[in-house]
Amino acid sequence: MSEPAKPVRRGRLTSLFLFSVLAVSVIGYLVGLSDGVPAPDGVSRRSPTDVAQTSAADASGKVVPAVNYAEIPATPMGPTDAYQAKPVALSDQPAYDLFKQIEPSEADKLDSSRIRSSRRAYNGAPPIIPHAVENTSDAACYACHGGGIRLDGMKASVMSHAYLANCVQCHSPPPPTPFQDVPHEVDNGFVGLAAPQAGKRAYPGAPPTIPHSQWMRESCNACHGGPNGWAGMESTHPWRTNCTQCHAPSAALDQAIPAKAIPMLPPLDVAVN
Amino acid sequence: MDSKRRGFLKSAAMAAAGSMVLGEGEFSLPVLGAADAPSDGDELTWSKAPCRFCGTGCHLQVGVHEGRVVAVAGDKAAEVNKGLLCVKGYHVGGILYGADRLTKPLLRKDGGLVEIEWDEAIDIIAQRIMDAPEKFAFYGSGQWTIPEGYAAQKLMKGGLSNNHIDPNARLCMASAVTGFLATYGVDEPAGCYDDLDACDVLITWGNNPAEMHPILFSRVTDRRSRGENVRIIDISTRRTRTTDAANDYLEMAPHGDVAIALGIMNQLIASGTYDKDFVEKHCAFRTLESETPTLQGEAISEDEFRKRIAAYTPERVEELSGVPADQIRMLGKLFGDRNLRITSLWCMGMNQHTMGTAVNSLVHGVHLLSGHFGRPGDAPTSLTGQPSACGTVREVGTLAHALPGGRVVANPDHRAQCEGFWNLPAGRISSTPGYHTVKMFDQFTKSADEGGDIDTLFVQVTNPGQTLPNLNKLFNDKEKLNDKFLIVSEVYPTATTQLADLILPAALWVEKNGIYGNSERRTQQWFKLVDPPGEARDDTWMTIAIAHRLLELGHEGMKDKDGEFIFSVKDEQGEDIPIWEFEHYYDTNVDKHLFEEYRQFTTMKHKNLAPYDEYVKARGLRWPVVQQDDGSWRETRFRFAGFDDPFVAEGEEFDFYHSTSGDGRAQVWFHDYQPPPEVPDEEFPMWLCTGRVLEHWHTGTMTRRLPQLNRAMPTAYVEMNLQDALAQNIRQGETVVIESRRGTTQLPVWIDGRGRPPRGTIFVPFFDETKLINNCTLDDHDPFSKQPDYKKCAVRVRKLSEASS
Repeated sequence: MSEPAKPVRRGRLTSLFLFSVLAVSVIGYLVGLSDGVPAPDGVSRRSPTDVAQTSAADASGKVVPAVNYAEIPATPMGPTDAYQAKPVALSDQPAYDLFKQIEPSEADKLDSSRIRSSRRAYNGAPPIIPHAVENTSDAACYACHGGGIRLDGMKASVMSHAYLANCVQCHSPPPPTPFQDVPHEVDNGFVGLAAPQAGKRAYPGAPPTIPHSQWMRESCNACHGGPNGWAGMESTHPWRTNCTQCHAPSAALDQAIPAKAIPMLPPLDVAVN
Repeated sequence: MDSKRRGFLKSAAMAAAGSMVLGEGEFSLPVLGAADAPSDGDELTWSKAPCRFCGTGCHLQVGVHEGRVVAVAGDKAAEVNKGLLCVKGYHVGGILYGADRLTKPLLRKDGGLVEIEWDEAIDIIAQRIMDAPEKFAFYGSGQWTIPEGYAAQKLMKGGLSNNHIDPNARLCMASAVTGFLATYGVDEPAGCYDDLDACDVLITWGNNPAEMHPILFSRVTDRRSRGENVRIIDISTRRTRTTDAANDYLEMAPHGDVAIALGIMNQLIASGTYDKDFVEKHCAFRTLESETPTLQGEAISEDEFRKRIAAYTPERVEELSGVPADQIRMLGKLFGDRNLRITSLWCMGMNQHTMGTAVNSLVHGVHLLSGHFGRPGDAPTSLTGQPSACGTVREVGTLAHALPGGRVVANPDHRAQCEGFWNLPAGRISSTPGYHTVKMFDQFTKSADEGGDIDTLFVQVTNPGQTLPNLNKLFNDKEKLNDKFLIVSEVYPTATTQLADLILPAALWVEKNGIYGNSERRTQQWFKLVDPPGEARDDTWMTIAIAHRLLELGHEGMKDKDGEFIFSVKDEQGEDIPIWEFEHYYDTNVDKHLFEEYRQFTTMKHKNLAPYDEYVKARGLRWPVVQQDDGSWRETRFRFAGFDDPFVAEGEEFDFYHSTSGDGRAQVWFHDYQPPPEVPDEEFPMWLCTGRVLEHWHTGTMTRRLPQLNRAMPTAYVEMNLQDALAQNIRQGETVVIESRRGTTQLPVWIDGRGRPPRGTIFVPFFDETKLINNCTLDDHDPFSKQPDYKKCAVRVRKLSEASS
């Protein structure tokens, strides 16, 4: 009795299937459009100022310029394809094993520290931008540093602080492309605070205290764990996520209260016989 | 070996070992520190101090170890910056340690400089003043601390009866002052930075805060990151990083701001959307007298105002400013909407302007007429570029015509009040205003035969050899005049010390006590944290030491009417503490003595300051600071507004209690548009605009000695539009010659660089002492503020090969 119904159902399934294919492709097309996929011929032939003169300011701020071939090497060209891609979409992101045995080595730690401090005037200073940048918009920085990325032997650190606008306000870039060869050596005797080697432990085996401020380093994973940690500084237990449960921060460094001014009740008044 | 000595040797060794000579992107820092270096920041001594650089007035925590600054952090307790800094603030510690710090007084003899002792240096200065006190001038700074400026002011006007004292702030915010005086009768903003947290619309008038006041700008853009809606409207002569964040970019022709402000007022009147209630209760109308115009102007009726403003239709404004009429209507509509909160920001674009007073007054007028005033988020806010342009120049009044606390030398009552506070004989203070900056340098660089009646000039905390406009006219001529004597107190060799006859090594920032006053009326104090290098000494000490040497030479002006030294500080036994001897200068807190004396001056204009010790506890306090019944001190965020200002009577909504019309009203001004004094022509076809960049502060004498900042911006440049470059066959990075009617300089080209000027405009930052763009700028200035226009003059760009042929 139920036999004749079957083809009808199959037909329904087919149209449902076709409909969803159509829907996905339409949605995909629209999403693609809104994502800013370039038109077939790629880039605008007009210079940014031409665009500026004829259209209102683009909220995203950056227009990819089309310039003479001669101008290309010296012209900031905006985001590259790699910048525009979402990090997750890139292939060969190394697989991350949360439970991999971590054995920090002094040599790794020294190397990591060396790289880190080569980019800072002192421990706690915002690092300078160590690579060439063509585009200093927040979106361009965030593309790699928002989630961290490893590409072609290079590592983009994940931001250790919450999202803040105007990245180059704190992180100073390399010289602008046309002035890369201008000598910029400076003789300055400033000696910055060195990075701490380790927190203090109350006894061997005790969890170390946090030897730096947490301000601007709210995300412990940025250096100490996850796929973006620094070799030698990684946590041996990255699956534990409530770091300050065991590692005490410094009230003084966090500008909470001066350590020497912690208010206490007066000592007990014990009569001496 | 005592521990202090050992500490010094160790830090010297650390300095030598870790000297940051910056090569190809490599810093050599002590990676993990010596074994005895502090293992973490807990072992440092952290103290508060305001940043040394701009007028924003961020507070820092400065980490000191064994007598050296080793780290800096944003101060989380500071309301201004809430724990954040900009790239200059984070690296400010390094300004103390440039290898070429000046450490010994230097005297020019037979063309060369020789080291001399401080005693001899003070002798030379005092003797030159003694020989001709009326030919002495003092050129100071918006980077003077309040006590430094106050001491200089007292020496000149109270001691020498000489009003030739003026600051570099004349080049920086004099038009903001005259704008406030013309509008409210009293200087400085009514609102504060809290407006940035509340505004729905932010309008930047010829202003690039993304680079120049980044902390304030990111305070707004970070609100967007948190999901709030803030519309940013950028009115500018070129695209900048501020434009990148703006919703609307209105590109105006130079001087277009005047027309735009008039156009907005025209729209408010034409559509009847101005705030009738606010205007009726709290505003009056004013314009310039047709003959001999004054800063106060003359009253006009509302009808007369309507008649005049009717001429500035959106179409006419489009012709004058280049901004499309639709956009003018859009701005008019925006200001007509009372549900929005609108904050205007401006800085040098409106101040360095031959119509500076006018355009400042007009923008205040736009806010008053529309009623976008006095509610949090509704504010016309003028920003300053120097850390104490407000505190030291505008409040202490270190200007040729002014006296402390908003007083002027021309007013006999004001002079008598100051003579009273200073305990001076009546008539000591001269009633004739001294020379303003441009005039002062004109008189100094002109020979005595030609009427140049300034022959000794003392420059403190500033670098006029780089910042004056039209340097060939106002500074470089000094070189040929042997009878003119230039004294410069400095921390590094500069364009000014090049021509100095006597160079005095100065203590810098946290090498001395200090007090600054920022853009939002906030007075901020700090203590000396480290010793200055070599024989560098405090500027306040220099002034007091000169005064005491004059006293020894018998100058009667150095005594008050009871015969006491004018800078006398007594100990508990009533004995003079010899603060004029540097060994004894820190036996007491001279800053505190001077500040407490200065505080008496501040109540007349309701700019009341709290006692020194209150500032020690706070991260700055915004005046008026008034004592409460419970003894605590309360700051004021919104002046003239009944809900916050203690000087507005109970129940009043607003009171402009220093109104020039004497009836509690603010003045809405009408000014006719006037074209700029020099416009491009066939011979000089390009507009030149000058300014700053994020990484360098003013003349770069400090920031260009910081590896991280100098790496980011190693040279000044000329920003050019691609089409202009193509038309002249100029390549990216090529060195070109910029020529004006006044001078020339050579700069590398940056086509469509960080800023993107339209065709026919170039932009050059002035931080680079090897590429002086002020050889080209114009010394034409505003008639009231005497502030020159650095933002527009006519130049031509030539290829090096063409220029040399």
